[in-house]
Amino acid sequence: MIARPSLSLGIEEEYQIIDPETRGMRSFITQFIDNDRVIMVERELKPELHQSMVELGTPACSTVGQLKEELIKQRSFIVGLAAQKELAVVAAATHPFSSWLDQPVTPLPRYQGVLEEMQLLAQRLLIFGMHVHVGIEDRAFAIDAMNVVRYMLPHILALSTSSPFWLGRKTGLKSYRSVVFEDFPRSGIPDICRTVADYDNMVRSLANVGVIPDASKIWWDVRPHHKYPTLEFRICDICTRVDEAIAIAAIFQAIVLWLWKLRRKNLTFRIYRRDLIEENRWRASRYGLDGKMIDFGKSVEAPTRALIRELLDLISEEIDELETRAYIEPIERMLQNGTSADRQLRVFANTGDLKAVVDHLIAETKEGLV
Amino acid sequence: MYHPSYNIGIEEEYQLIDPTNRELLGYVRQSMSRDLMVVNERTTATDFAQQIGSAVLEVGTPVCADIKEASVQLLRMRTQMLEFAQSNGCKVAASGTHPFSHWEGRNEVMPGYRAILEDAQMIARRILAFGLRVQIGVEDRELAVDVMNTMRYVLPHILCLATSSPFWNGRNTGLKSYRSVLMDALPRTGIPGSFASYQEYRSYIDTLVRTNSIPDASRVRYDILPHHRFPTLAVRICDMLPNYRDTLAITALIQATVAWMVDLRQRNMAFRTYERLLIAENKWRAVRYGLDGKLIDWGLEQMAPAPDLIRELLTFVTPFAQRLNSEDELAHVETILQRGANAEQQLQVWKNANHDTKAVVDFIVAETEKFL
Repeated sequence: MIARPSLSLGIEEEYQIIDPETRGMRSFITQFIDNDRVIMVERELKPELHQSMVELGTPACSTVGQLKEELIKQRSFIVGLAAQKELAVVAAATHPFSSWLDQPVTPLPRYQGVLEEMQLLAQRLLIFGMHVHVGIEDRAFAIDAMNVVRYMLPHILALSTSSPFWLGRKTGLKSYRSVVFEDFPRSGIPDICRTVADYDNMVRSLANVGVIPDASKIWWDVRPHHKYPTLEFRICDICTRVDEAIAIAAIFQAIVLWLWKLRRKNLTFRIYRRDLIEENRWRASRYGLDGKMIDFGKSVEAPTRALIRELLDLISEEIDELETRAYIEPIERMLQNGTSADRQLRVFANTGDLKAVVDHLIAETKEGLV
Repeated sequence: MYHPSYNIGIEEEYQLIDPTNRELLGYVRQSMSRDLMVVNERTTATDFAQQIGSAVLEVGTPVCADIKEASVQLLRMRTQMLEFAQSNGCKVAASGTHPFSHWEGRNEVMPGYRAILEDAQMIARRILAFGLRVQIGVEDRELAVDVMNTMRYVLPHILCLATSSPFWNGRNTGLKSYRSVLMDALPRTGIPGSFASYQEYRSYIDTLVRTNSIPDASRVRYDILPHHRFPTLAVRICDMLPNYRDTLAITALIQATVAWMVDLRQRNMAFRTYERLLIAENKWRAVRYGLDGKLIDWGLEQMAPAPDLIRELLTFVTPFAQRLNSEDELAHVETILQRGANAEQQLQVWKNANHDTKAVVDFIVAETEKFL
């Protein structure tokens, strides 16, 4: 019998450090590490590829409530730290106008390596994501859940979209980040892995020939984490508002519980080809909540909002069981008023000013913090 | 018993270049509905769209029985294009990208193009990427899908020989085929997954059409596919190549590889079918390093220099080139291996010219005109 997964939660977020005068991105990390070692004790601070990017992760939390506390603590910490240096923090998957060409690359050996391997593509990677970990101790179930959950990833991506601008232009997409990242090999929706052995063999094949050191270089939208006993969801743009990030994490948690219960009843949500799921992923990147997605069971298009409501209905029992309904409430608000990308586009439509968009993002990033 | 015709079709995409400042003025390629399509960069200065209506121009050869006929047709097609360019005071470049032209602020004038722009927005503007498409006659559709599954493996090897887009926006991208990156950002591109049968492939296409994801099968643009209209297998992984001998060599290699796969099948053998992810790993290496890099031999699970693996492929397929009357054309692959692919040549020119991308344009134009 497969033990019930712990469903513990963790969130890693990547933040932009902003100069409040120019509203452009500012180099930040190196000062941090050189001058302020105390901070490293307080929270592990991983310098990201670009110097103006910061990645922080919460500890593992047993409930959504605890996760929310930790995420608020984490964001408050980084916002406070930035404020000491008269800088601001933005949680959005792209900066509306800063160019990747102007950003210095963090002088750490592991990132210089990425630059050498990926060349111009690595420099373009000035994009910011949110990774949600859900604790699944049984690896066989983690792989099973990965296959199934691929189907819902585009729906969640649509909710998280926060990158409508790129290099000072409206891209016409809601999540430009999710398209930029697809330039990388081993990214996007994974192919079906029939068994743990399938997955391990594939990683072993890649490692045997030296193209990757280990599974940490598999950058799929969802993957079994190479160190933690978790399934890691990497599809999302970083959410600008804390409550929206938490709502999405709560959905992932409820989905995993739902799949585990299905499995115990000898049922599974149907597993579709990667190519088909990619089709919905594209629609999520392009249209966010405003488009249609495909219901492959019925083989028809339906409005994305309706499909997301349907998904929430499917996991309703699990939401109640986990007592997370209050945390999921922001989803309904998003379905009515739009995601971070929609709000950014509205600010831009009203002001015609991308700096106003940055100001809006700085304010939203702080909302709900203590 | 299968008896594919192995006949050949070649489709190309040409850039029109301003001879004074070497800027990209427009391009000519086949639209998805098979009408000619031109996109002007400067609507006031040039009006190719109108003129092309009255000009005799083709960008795809008719069906050719063998490589010899394909050679005649390819040269005829390129001659027409050069003459058209000359009469309009411009030059032709047949490479995967323009070395320095910026995609920003372009005017897409043809209505057919607007549809794509609307669909893919910012990404569609990135399709200033010019590819070569080779079609080989494989009439039986089940066989075509079978060949597709197995032949995916050698596409990265073929791409190593057919890279010509190391520059983008005036910058050395560090890659040999930046065009591949541009293309793969569009939906339904890259190395396809494998399909258990033609039926399964059709059902994938039908699902996309039924759900309004695509109007028809022509919008699926994987690196290899059974053609949506012709009884052929279409390979579109290659960059456009300025030197027509390179184009013919690649075509001969693709044709002979198809014949090899069919021959294996007739003997109850098969080239092994690998997972998409593993093949994509080699594609990335081809895109990044071209002939200078190593590819992975997934049978041995070890890396080997790309030229070595390509020479190994040649030993497998050369017997079929003899039957297909394409030995001379295929022999040119060895020349490419020794000389470097077009991307490597461009980089050399760029280094010799103190990083002047205009000199690279001149080189591409000269290579394109060389056969005259």
